[in-house]
Amino acid sequence: MGTPKKAGPVVTVLVPTFNRRRYLAGALASVVRQSYRNLQIIVINDGGEDVSDIVNSFGDERLIFINRKENRGKAHSLNEALARAEGKYVAYLDDDDLYYPNHIETLVDALENKSDCQVAYSDLYKVYCNVCPDGSRKVLSKVVEISRDFDRFFMLYWNHVLHVSLMHRRDLLEKTGPYNEDINVLIDWDMTRQLVFFSDFLHVPEITGEFYQPDGDCDRISVQRRKNEKEYTRNILTIRTTRPPKPWIKLGDMSIIFTTERLNKQAGTTLGSIWQRTFYPYEVYLPLPTADFEKLDTVMPNIIPVLVNPLSSQAERIDAALAICDGEYIAIVPSGFPIREFWVEDSLHALVNSSVNNEGFELEDSTERLWAVVVRKNDLQHARRSFPHLSVRESLNAAGIAIRHLQPEEIPFQFDQLLEKAKSAEKNGNWSKAAEMFEYITEHYQNELCMKTLAAKASFKAGGHIRAAELSREVNRQRPTVDTLLLEAKVKHEKKDFNSAIELLNKAEQILEGNELLWT
Amino acid sequence: MDITENNVDEQHDSTQHYEVLQELGDCYTSVGNYTQAQQCYEKAAVLSPDEAGPYVGLGVVALQKNLLDDAEIAFRVACRLDANCAKAYAGLAMVAQQRADYKQAFEMYLKSLELDTDNLIALLGLFQTSCQMGSFSKVIHYLEAYLNMHPGDTSVMFPLAALYMKDGKLEKSKKILLDLLTLDKSHTDAANLLEEVEHSLAQVKQGNQTGARV
Repeated sequence: MGTPKKAGPVVTVLVPTFNRRRYLAGALASVVRQSYRNLQIIVINDGGEDVSDIVNSFGDERLIFINRKENRGKAHSLNEALARAEGKYVAYLDDDDLYYPNHIETLVDALENKSDCQVAYSDLYKVYCNVCPDGSRKVLSKVVEISRDFDRFFMLYWNHVLHVSLMHRRDLLEKTGPYNEDINVLIDWDMTRQLVFFSDFLHVPEITGEFYQPDGDCDRISVQRRKNEKEYTRNILTIRTTRPPKPWIKLGDMSIIFTTERLNKQAGTTLGSIWQRTFYPYEVYLPLPTADFEKLDTVMPNIIPVLVNPLSSQAERIDAALAICDGEYIAIVPSGFPIREFWVEDSLHALVNSSVNNEGFELEDSTERLWAVVVRKNDLQHARRSFPHLSVRESLNAAGIAIRHLQPEEIPFQFDQLLEKAKSAEKNGNWSKAAEMFEYITEHYQNELCMKTLAAKASFKAGGHIRAAELSREVNRQRPTVDTLLLEAKVKHEKKDFNSAIELLNKAEQILEGNELLWT
Repeated sequence: MDITENNVDEQHDSTQHYEVLQELGDCYTSVGNYTQAQQCYEKAAVLSPDEAGPYVGLGVVALQKNLLDDAEIAFRVACRLDANCAKAYAGLAMVAQQRADYKQAFEMYLKSLELDTDNLIALLGLFQTSCQMGSFSKVIHYLEAYLNMHPGDTSVMFPLAALYMKDGKLEKSKKILLDLLTLDKSHTDAANLLEEVEHSLAQVKQGNQTGARV
């Protein structure tokens, strides 16, 4: 731990709490004892049992306590606290989790000195534990389960940043808006998803804290609420369709122009599937004649009806929508088009990452009858202005916009797909295959430390003890974890190098026991 | 890939802390630091009360301290937690052997080897106990089984050769001793035994020839 730092910008740490007196003191102690001293710490009691004695016991003038009697949820609590936040940066801590002493210092240093990012995050131990009858926690394992380099596209699809590990500039909230109080699970992802519209995230692959997962039935409100499938899906759809105010600095919008002769059942089904399966931010432009326009009655968000002449051609309808489209990317999709998972994002990902001008992508399930495409808006505008009398497809061709199919190497989430395959091999006990795949991922993709750890564990189980020790040693040199210390020690033990094994195991035990030295 | 599925019950490794303490206990035992080893095993037992491993460790520590009653209790707890724990039976055998209860020791070593023919400590214990009891019939089988799995293990080759010789299987004994000496030229006991075996073989040969002449 370094010398306490007083200089540097103020960081506001938000600690919402609800009926977890048992752990709050530990959580607050871990904030109060941060090496970085310039803090504003706001504790918000969300209508739970009184914790004022715990907060007051610290006698720390940096602590602000909001003692609300009414339970209004975590999102509301965070918004209430943010209204009083003064820091340049904001960080978060749940009432049952812990920061290591260097947590804030590490992230402030990263944001101030190491990049232009306005958001940074570190890694955390997930602590599996048994809760004893007296409420104390018996640590079973500490594992870094999520250690992923920033991936904007993935963040739109699913969260890979733990909120407790997150720090961001407070003024970003002026762009994203406050926490959404209409959702009751995954509120952290809702916020991080919106932050990706405005900033890159810097991943600091250091372990700077821990969050707890009790064995058996978890008491976390968010976990309990996930069990209500319908409500959970509602929350996911709300998060995925939330569009923060423009301008979006880091993300291009997508306008989907939906073509249909009439607003019939098939059109309704296709639209519903778009709502269910699209994770990239979008608006659906729906060119419709007056009769259908009046019938339109949907709760689906982000639909923009465009009034057209009932006798207009499909191209004319697309042109009418295009005239008011706001997206940098345009997807043209006919009614009845099969909307599967990643139906548009596969091709859109290739388009977003393409450095070639004048090209677009025919969607994977596109046919002659149900032709669907994603292109840049300016390319489509150019084609339509130049060749308004042609069909859309012909006009793109005539304007020299190359419409091609996706190449296998352009498919997004290859890392995730390989990872899933490797984990499946692991699950089936095919350890050598799993080890091979993890090593391949280490070589070809990011997330080196995490993948090397998985490769080491699988190698060991496959009997490749020497390779497991090599990989563990490489990880331990950069960032020791309990898993890799244990693996390296096991191999030392086998070689009868007991003293080296003891040294490694003592380090692991110190981490598991949360050595008191950490907090002093 | 469907990572949006509502998976809140993911499996995880809940034995990590236990494993660290158990390994640490074993390493401390190996370097003779029994106090630290005992502490580790006790913590491991609290963490995973259904595991036999920590009790085996505690038994070994007690055995090293010559606390035979404590050792027996620990090994018995281990057996109760895991009826197939070969190490726990080997531990009980060692306790019995220390108490000069060779019959009990022999039975426990046998039980241990039935569960794990690969347990060298039990194997050598069985051999010692057999020597102490003067009964070798069951030992040879286990030594042979072990040597099949570990063809170059000189610690087993020597007792097996000795037993072959005692059984009058002189050629078998000679072969193993020659193999052993190829692997370890400095094994003086083996060299001496080989000399003895060759002497016996020569006598047998001479006896045969004499018989033939008569």
